[in-house]
Amino acid sequence: MIGKLIMADFLKMKRKGFWFLAFLGPFGVIALQMVNYGVRKEYLLTQSEDDWGYYLLNVNSFTPLAIVLGIAIVTSAIASVENETNAWKQLLALPISKKTVFLSKFMVLAFLLLVSSALLSIFTLGYGMYLNFDQEIPYSDIIIFSFYPYFAALPILALQLWIATVSNNQGIPITTGILGTIITYSSASLPDWLIWKWPAVMLEWEEPIRIVMLGFGFGFLLFIVGMIDFVRRDVK
Amino acid sequence: MEYIVETKKLTKRFGREYAVEDLHLKIPKGEIYGFLGPNGAGKTTTIRMLLGLMKPTAGSATIFKKDVQKEKIDVLRKVGSLVENPSYYPHLTANENLEALRKILNVPKKRISEVLEIVRLTEVANKRVKGFSLGMKQRLGIAASLLHEPKLLILDEPTNGLDPSGIIEMRHLIKRLPTEYQMTVLISSHLLSEIDQMATCVGIISKGKLIFQDSIEAMRKLAKQKIVLKVNNHENAWRALLAKGIKAENNQDAIFLHEESDDGVAEAVQTLVAEGYAVYRVEEEKRSLEDIFLQMTSEGNLK
Repeated sequence: MIGKLIMADFLKMKRKGFWFLAFLGPFGVIALQMVNYGVRKEYLLTQSEDDWGYYLLNVNSFTPLAIVLGIAIVTSAIASVENETNAWKQLLALPISKKTVFLSKFMVLAFLLLVSSALLSIFTLGYGMYLNFDQEIPYSDIIIFSFYPYFAALPILALQLWIATVSNNQGIPITTGILGTIITYSSASLPDWLIWKWPAVMLEWEEPIRIVMLGFGFGFLLFIVGMIDFVRRDVK
Repeated sequence: MEYIVETKKLTKRFGREYAVEDLHLKIPKGEIYGFLGPNGAGKTTTIRMLLGLMKPTAGSATIFKKDVQKEKIDVLRKVGSLVENPSYYPHLTANENLEALRKILNVPKKRISEVLEIVRLTEVANKRVKGFSLGMKQRLGIAASLLHEPKLLILDEPTNGLDPSGIIEMRHLIKRLPTEYQMTVLISSHLLSEIDQMATCVGIISKGKLIFQDSIEAMRKLAKQKIVLKVNNHENAWRALLAKGIKAENNQDAIFLHEESDDGVAEAVQTLVAEGYAVYRVEEEKRSLEDIFLQMTSEGNLK
């Protein structure tokens, strides 16, 4: 059942720019480093002995922002596909449970962001190799820097999807999404329990894997809460 | 009689307002049931409850003898619907729109071309729905509701916003469904003329309450005709009729006969002629269904 719904959701995403966004996010993050290293590579190389590590840190200073902003855009976009002509009433009058409808939207977006993260790792590696540091390539660090922020952002995805699917006015999820991005941007001065800080928090923790587990756990919790609320509501 | 849809005390309350109150709908198998009522009477709310889109505040709805709340998915497998304005994905083609639903409904691919054929959209199957006219979108909505060959079709105001030829086309299509596809159809409208031309059964809802439910013939019978006699000196003529034991009513410039049978009318006319009155006109005045509908909905109950 869920498989068919996911296929249908992918079909509905056609021509809506979802895949372009999935590419644009990671590309933008690396493009900023292209500018950064293009302009002042010599200076940046003097900043650290570990050139690859320093490059990854630079990349990672924008990854959380891109993810949080990207989540705000895609959750609102996927909800607006159904909102535009109030297709919810047509969709939910089909012989399917509302739970799977919500689950399908979540899975589709989670997959989309996973693709973005995979692209980020490829772009990071690609430009890193182009920069030709006199060092061995730290593959596992590239993977960690590309995927951990994504897993840490799952609670934000669940929350934003919940807000987007139950609001009639797409201004609401956009607003919360932008507020989230601002929180992420100023995360250094904010407490750790704010979920918007999580995609950026891993470097401060001794075992970064813990933020991944926390992301899964709390993401699952928020997903369940959002799903229950979505099911409970009358369809407009 | 076998009822496809049956509701018991179906009630929906929004805050303090009752949108639908104690509704007892009974839709017999194979009929086209016209669900009639002014805007805001609770038609769409009722339909949303039938489709499980809204939870009733009280009461229950059964479709195919199954409770909609408890066995929603089972019920919806055999129900097709078009609620209010048609829903579609404008950035997709007609084909893709139906494909997105077909994947979920799990019916063979050839159904898409079949339903497009039924609503005559085959030629624009690969055009984006964004550019469709309202009538075409409405037909696409019907096509979508027919995809899984439902046994019950629920159409909420399907002719809203259509031009006259679109309305006629829709009417022909809907009338075909019960005989050709063994469907039962529930069709809502605020236009009595629409229902009059399609439905075999009627339910009238006003302010959330069902005020009439019967066959369309029974409703037509309510459109009682009256015989009007125009004579000279109608005051005296009326007295003459009463003296003969013929029941009549004296109006300002005419006499209304209570008797409607051919013999009764003949007898009255003969009496008047025999008494020497000049009979100018014998007319039949028919109350239109529209009048009855207006009267019913304004009174809020029948008689």
